[in-house]
Amino acid sequence: MRLPPLIGISVVAWLLVILETYLFFDVIIPVGPALHSIGVFTAIALLKIGLTFGLGVLWFFVIVSLTEIYERSLERRLPPTPSS
Amino acid sequence: MLAIGNLPLLLITFIAPFLLLVAITPSYLRFLVRRGKTVDDVAKQPVTKIPSPIGPVIFIGAAAGEIIAYLAYGSLVPLAVLGASAVAFVIGLYDDISVLGGKVKPILLLFAFVPFSVALLYEPDLYAARLFFPILGATGAHFTIYTLLVIAGFPIVANAFNAMDSLNGQMSGFTVLVSLALIIGTVLRSLAEPTFSLVRLAATLPLLAVSMAFYIFNRFPSRAFDGNSGSLMLGTMFAALAITDGVEIAAIIAILPAILNQFYILASVRGFVERRQMGSRPTYMTADGLLHASGDPTAPSTLIRLVLLPGPLTEKELVKNILLLTSVTCLLSVLTSVLTWVH
Repeated sequence: MRLPPLIGISVVAWLLVILETYLFFDVIIPVGPALHSIGVFTAIALLKIGLTFGLGVLWFFVIVSLTEIYERSLERRLPPTPSS
Repeated sequence: MLAIGNLPLLLITFIAPFLLLVAITPSYLRFLVRRGKTVDDVAKQPVTKIPSPIGPVIFIGAAAGEIIAYLAYGSLVPLAVLGASAVAFVIGLYDDISVLGGKVKPILLLFAFVPFSVALLYEPDLYAARLFFPILGATGAHFTIYTLLVIAGFPIVANAFNAMDSLNGQMSGFTVLVSLALIIGTVLRSLAEPTFSLVRLAATLPLLAVSMAFYIFNRFPSRAFDGNSGSLMLGTMFAALAITDGVEIAAIIAILPAILNQFYILASVRGFVERRQMGSRPTYMTADGLLHASGDPTAPSTLIRLVLLPGPLTEKELVKNILLLTSVTCLLSVLTSVLTWVH
C-alpha cells in the first residue's frame, strides 16, 4: 500500500492541470482586451490577474493539503533520524 | 500523415542515435575514468566511484538524431529542438565543471528559448500558441501569453528533470517512460490531423533513443551518471518537443511526478536551492543498505522521501516504485491524448 496515496495525489493533480489550464486559456485570457493593450491597473486586468492568482492558490492549497495529510499520517511512525 | 511508407525514415531517427550512444559510451567511460572524472555513488554501501558526466555523449546522440530529422525533412523544428537542448547542455556542463548557484541556473535556462525565437522568424508555425484539451478541443491562439509560458517552461521542466536525477536508473528510466508517452501523444495527433508534419514525430524519436541507451548504462547498479549536462539537456529537449508537437497538456501529465517533486522542494525550502545546499537531507541510509525517510522536521519534502515514508527500501526497490508511479502518470497522459485526438 505504498503507492496508492501518491497515485491519488497524481490523479487529483491531473484533473487540476486540465481544469485550471483550460480555465486560464479559454476563460480568463479571452475576457476583455489583452493586458498589454489596456495596462495592468484597470478593473478588467486586475480581475484577470486575480483569477489567475486564484487558480495558483487553488493548486497550492489542494496539493499541499493532500500531501500534508499523507505525511502526517505516516511521520509519527518514523524512528528518530541518526545525527550523522 | 503517418503511413507505412514513412516508417523507414522514422526508424533511422530512432536507431541511429541509439546505436551511436551504445557504441561510443564504453570508450567515453574509460576516458572519464582515466581523467579521474568520477563521483561518489552515495546510495551504495560502501560508497563507489562512478564515471560522470556522460551528458556530452547523450547530447551527441540526440544531436545526431535531430540532424538526421532536419536533413530528411528540411524543417527547422529539429534544429530549434537541438538549439534549445544545446543551450541547456552547455549550462549543465558548466555546472558539472564549475558549480552554478541554485538561482542562477533557472535564469540561464531562460535562454533556451533563444534558438526557438530565431527559428520562429523563419518558420512561424514552429508552434501553434494554442492548447488542445481532452473532449473540449482547441483553445483560441494566444501568442504572447503562450510564448511567455514557453520561456518560463524551459527552466521549470529542465529543473524538474534535474531534481529527479538522484538514484541509479531513476532519471534514465523516467525519461524513457515520459518520452514514450510523448511519442504516443504525437502519433495520435498525426493520425488525427492529416496536415500534421511528420518532422515533429521524427524530432521526438531521438529523445526516446538516447534515454533508452542511457538507461543501459545508468540502471542499477549504475556504470555511468549523466551529470547536470545530461539531465538539464533531456528536460529541455522534452519541453521543446512538447511545444513543437503541440501535446503540452499530455506532456505535463506524464512528468507529474517530477513536477510534484519540484513543487514539494520549492514549497518546503521556499526557493530554488541546490541539492548540495540543503541543510538537512530528506533521506538517510543505514548500514544494511536501506534508505529511510528522514524524521527531521526541517528536512525538505521530496518525492523520494514521500515514497519512503511507509518504510525503508533498497535503492533498487525505491527506483522501481518511482518508475511505477511514473508509469501511472504516463497512462493518464496517454488517456489524455486519446480523449484529445481520437474522435
